[in-house]
Amino acid sequence: MNGIELREVWFKYPGSKEWALRGVSLEIRRGEVLVLVGPNGSGKTTILKLAGGLYRPSRGEVTFWGSNIWEVNGSKRLELRRAVVYVHEKPILLRGTALDNVTFAPLLRGVPREEAIKIAEELLSDTSSAYLSRKDRREMSAGEAQVVSILRAVAAGPKILLLDEPTAHLDREKRVILTNLIGKLRSEGMGIAIATHDHLLALRTADRVVIVENGVVGSVGRPSEILDCC
Amino acid sequence: MEIVVRSLVVSGTATLLASTWSIVLAYLLVRSPRTSRPLIPLLEGMVGVPTVLIGLLLYLLLSRQGPLGVLRLLYSPQAIVIGQAILITPLITSVAYRVLTHSWDMYGELALSLGAAEGQAAKIVISESLSGVAAAVVMGFSRALGELGVALMVGGNIRGYTRVMTTAIALEVSKGEFELAVSLGIILLLILAMISLTLRFLGRLRE
Ligand SMILES: Nc1ncnc2c1ncn2[C@@H]1O[C@H](COP(=O)(O)OP(=O)(O)O)[C@@H](O)[C@H]1O
Ligand SMILES: [Mg+2]
Repeated sequence: MNGIELREVWFKYPGSKEWALRGVSLEIRRGEVLVLVGPNGSGKTTILKLAGGLYRPSRGEVTFWGSNIWEVNGSKRLELRRAVVYVHEKPILLRGTALDNVTFAPLLRGVPREEAIKIAEELLSDTSSAYLSRKDRREMSAGEAQVVSILRAVAAGPKILLLDEPTAHLDREKRVILTNLIGKLRSEGMGIAIATHDHLLALRTADRVVIVENGVVGSVGRPSEILDCC
Repeated sequence: MEIVVRSLVVSGTATLLASTWSIVLAYLLVRSPRTSRPLIPLLEGMVGVPTVLIGLLLYLLLSRQGPLGVLRLLYSPQAIVIGQAILITPLITSVAYRVLTHSWDMYGELALSLGAAEGQAAKIVISESLSGVAAAVVMGFSRALGELGVALMVGGNIRGYTRVMTTAIALEVSKGEFELAVSLGIILLLILAMISLTLRFLGRLRE
């Protein structure tokens, strides 16, 4: 399996009585864009965080390239986790500028500073965001912060990218930029899973769409089949 | 003046010691909810432990006949440092725990999602909450500086050796020398106020 697989995953938040997910199975493959749609509270964020290895399933398995990430040990787990990056819906930036933030991800993986800065500057300018480079996180709008947090994830160079409501704060111009970026990353072989209410984004980027409802995954299909029904 | 300096050095050393292990402990507790669930209420309960109780405990340990009597630490500045460090550990740990829990929920998850190793995540979580952690440390320092019981019982209030501001104030009052007591008291208050102001300033700078 070239990517992430959730197998019969059940999940309950600590302290909660209700199951947030009830037997979810799905695959996120490289070179493919998978879009999750569904009402608020249906479990999209929870699925993405489980797929990102941030939550441990209560039951079932989450595998990265066939290995159960919760059963492999330290260094192997780190290596697997580094192949996948999850981006929060509400952007969380670290102290400093946009450039600091985007540089941060490659630095974390031991890329030398000079090279990390080069990667970051290239990404920022490719997405018409170079004007943000020197902006401090306190001076950014929500949309700008969202773009930066997505670019930071891309700069990490993951094989699979998990985007949670990536257009939530974006204006039309930035949505177009993001759509193009997603297309480019996909063509380079990255796998991308997106949780979104933005049907236009889904139509423009998705290879497959799944409907999530009440903690279970419903129908899976091509965007045109799935989306006109909702 | 010498008393003021000694107070600052003794309580500062105690705070440094206590902060080191308290912050590490707080972080470990954040990372292992199973241990912290029963331990945190206990620590919080110990925040207000009477200083004389710590003083008494340490006195028993350090006195000639006590299990640690051979160290000959009773009535030394080192004894005060140890006592104050123990005294403020629950305070620093429980405040740092709250701060770090909050920071972990945001930045810890972020760090892991970006592929941070455990140590890198710790660094991010602590550095993003530095002003809060610093506040915990300062609260500890204030308590150490202002406590009397430990300094009196295991320090002994020996002039030129273990006499600190609070023990000096107590002594002067008992002698009826209110003037020196009051001026020492004012200095103590000023120092505490200054620390708190510096902290606010630093916090604003970092935000
Ligand atoms: N931190 C949490 N603690 C407890 N329950 C949560 C938490 N986060 C989400 N939930 C619950 O889990 C379910 C799925 O939420 P979520 O995955 O965020 O949905 P979506 O992203 O589709 O809006 C909801 O019922 C929600 O109330
Ligand atoms: Mg969500």
